[in-house]
Amino acid sequence: MAHIRIKNASVEFPIYHANARSIKNQFIRISTGGKVMSDASQHLVVKALDNISVNIEHGDRVGLVGHNGAGKSTLLKLMADIYEPTRGTIDRDGKVSPLLNIMQGIETESTGYENIVMRGICLGLTRKQIKAKVDEIAEFTGLGSYLAMPTRTYSSGMQIRLAFGIATSIEPEILLIDEVFGAGDADFMQKARNKMVELLSQSSIVVFASHANDLIAEFCNKAILMDGGKVIAFGKVNEILELYQKQHPHN
Amino acid sequence: MKTSMNRNKTIADLLSGFQNWRIWLMLAYQDIKLRYRRSKLGPFWLTLSMAVTVYSMGFLYAHLFKIDLQAYYPFLTTGMIAWTMISTIINDLAETFTESAGTIKQIKLPYTTYVHRVISRNFIIFFHNIVVYIPILILFHEVAKINMHTLMIIPNLLLLYLNGLSYGVVIALICARYPDMIQIVKSIVQVIFFMTPILWSPSILPAKYAFFILLNPFYCFVQLIRAPLMGQSIALSEWGILAFVTALGLTFASYLFLKYRARIVYWI
Repeated sequence: MAHIRIKNASVEFPIYHANARSIKNQFIRISTGGKVMSDASQHLVVKALDNISVNIEHGDRVGLVGHNGAGKSTLLKLMADIYEPTRGTIDRDGKVSPLLNIMQGIETESTGYENIVMRGICLGLTRKQIKAKVDEIAEFTGLGSYLAMPTRTYSSGMQIRLAFGIATSIEPEILLIDEVFGAGDADFMQKARNKMVELLSQSSIVVFASHANDLIAEFCNKAILMDGGKVIAFGKVNEILELYQKQHPHN
Repeated sequence: MKTSMNRNKTIADLLSGFQNWRIWLMLAYQDIKLRYRRSKLGPFWLTLSMAVTVYSMGFLYAHLFKIDLQAYYPFLTTGMIAWTMISTIINDLAETFTESAGTIKQIKLPYTTYVHRVISRNFIIFFHNIVVYIPILILFHEVAKINMHTLMIIPNLLLLYLNGLSYGVVIALICARYPDMIQIVKSIVQVIFFMTPILWSPSILPAKYAFFILLNPFYCFVQLIRAPLMGQSIALSEWGILAFVTALGLTFASYLFLKYRARIVYWI
């Protein structure tokens, strides 16, 4: 059964002061006996996630809420194994499909078709499997013969159609989503929404970070409220959203 | 428990780096293709510019050093092809993780994937450059021979790849942590070009300075390509140095990669 179990995990970013990071100063420090520049070697550390413990099990659809900088995206990246915890542990079972930045990996000089193939290979598909996907993506994006053109000739809306079509052409087990809605014309938005619902129902675990509380209420059964890199509360979606709204009445 | 988990993840990174050949080969090919996207000749510009360089250099330097063209052309061409590959691999390795920072922060791929990408990209370029050597082989067939030793090119290239991988991890890691190292690596590479018998033959160095070449492992790596292409064998002493340098690289790389692999994403 798919699961993500995080225990006392922290993610700390070292901020290398311009002084501390260059080799020159490492030398200076050695030659001056470590006194003169000693303050420069004490790197600032930003604690993006602070002692997080969360268990997510099969069937959970978890919404991540919290204001900007609360640590939602970092938590998703921790779950995706992009950041390994600097403290604590994470145990994950199941194939993770992150949908963190849909424009990621779209090469503007390459054609739409080439982009589909490239992404497919990156996801570990064979040429044959990709070929089977191409028609499906072509139909979904509605880009027609534009797919044979370099993506730099696309309008931004068309680029989003392609990116979204490619990014969602997966069969996810654990799906991690970071704010993917928000662009494209109304017609495409409806399509995108349907696609997302389809994707959500296929996956055994979904973690979904968003500022759109109505989407979270619609798609999720659980939610995590984050603030300052900490998990403030984890529970049923309506209770958490209520709590969040109480704290931030403007949302 | 944490250390054994880290060891397993490091080994997994290494193994799936190899298994991911589809990904890095595609990325490597893509890098070259994009560089020549709108040109008619495409990647064959690589061959053409290499040809112009070595053919004109060969003519000039043969006269400067007063060496027979017949002897010099094959020596220089093979040396330049070998050095171009080795030096660009090192220079590109310095930027392995910074050039892929965008991908590293969005998708989880083994870190060795990006090292493979850099090396295989330069291997593809090598196979374009090698074409320059064909006319030389025909024109100067008395010096440049095809024989049993030529077959050694395959194991030699594999050894070069292995070293690219181990030293690649070392260089890429250090340069990700200390961006200044990128510039330092590049200037060192430039100096080594003049210090290594690529333009000049080791035989013109006075005997008392012969140790100078012996101490330069880059010469052995150039020989790895040059010797089989010219139908020559590699001296036993050179194999010794190669074995030592390879072992050193593997040790150093495993130590650093085990210790700092998980930190890479935090550095870039």
